Amino acid sequence: MQFGSRLQIEFEARKTKNPRYSLRAFAASIGAEHSTVSQILRGTRPVPTGTIRAWALKLGMLPEEAAIYVAASHAATPESSRRAQQLLHWTAEALAVINEPVHFDILRMTRDPGFRPDVRWISRQTGVSIDHVNIALTRLLRLQLLEMASGEWKDVTGFQELTERKVRKLALERVRWAAAENRINLGRKSNS
Amino acid sequence: MSNAVMQFQIISRDPQGTSQFYANLFGWKVNADNPMGYREVNTGATEGIQGGIWPAPPQSPNFVQLFISVDDIKAYSAKAESLGATVLIPCTVLPDGGSMSVLHDSQGMPFGLWQRPA
Repeated sequence: MQFGSRLQIEFEARKTKNPRYSLRAFAASIGAEHSTVSQILRGTRPVPTGTIRAWALKLGMLPEEAAIYVAASHAATPESSRRAQQLLHWTAEALAVINEPVHFDILRMTRDPGFRPDVRWISRQTGVSIDHVNIALTRLLRLQLLEMASGEWKDVTGFQELTERKVRKLALERVRWAAAENRINLGRKSNS
Repeated sequence: MSNAVMQFQIISRDPQGTSQFYANLFGWKVNADNPMGYREVNTGATEGIQGGIWPAPPQSPNFVQLFISVDDIKAYSAKAESLGATVLIPCTVLPDGGSMSVLHDSQGMPFGLWQRPA
């Protein structure tokens, strides 16, 4: 619970005791402007961090309680934390697609008649560790660029001729769509 | 059919370190000698479920996901979506013939569906 919610509870409690108790009186009791408190209680502005301690003490809270509310005001909200985590995730996904040729290599190799659907073999062919091949593989499945069915791996990019540039572009498009589904905007679609 | 929890999967940024940790702590046997290089975990116990360890990309958190047995992976995947889930990895047939799919549940928590080889 942030300090704004605590203010709301305090105000409601005072109004319950005295139905004629006004917001103006409440604001005055903590040494705040009426309009500021009104906006905070309506949720249209946050409590200024610099005022929390003084207001909390005026409300009769312990200094230790006030300190917790000040600390809580610096913590990220669940929504901002979710967004930051999602942004980190999707930009890292995009950067991996841009910088790690193993994604293209796996797709290219699936078209080769000598291809073996064995991660250890792919690791040897690409010189990339088994764990990194598996991370790339998971990404290709997630972006629906590869399918695994009945022991066969199939490139499902839909390209007749596979080039690194085409794969990168399609993969980035899929990353952007997936990010958008999570309400993360990775920039406008390029026209090139 | 009943939908048993079949397997746990630890998704780790350091799968080797994780394998080592649990091997040292509980004596679990970890074997990656299979076409996916998948670290299969044998707890050595007759009760509970067995599991595996899979690598996570560097930005991902470490977490555990559960695989639940179904008799029709596509039908359950569609049902999960109708209940608010999203598909992360569509139905994929594994080298042993079993199928798996990974979804986010309605709260955004990942879980897997698993279907025995036909």
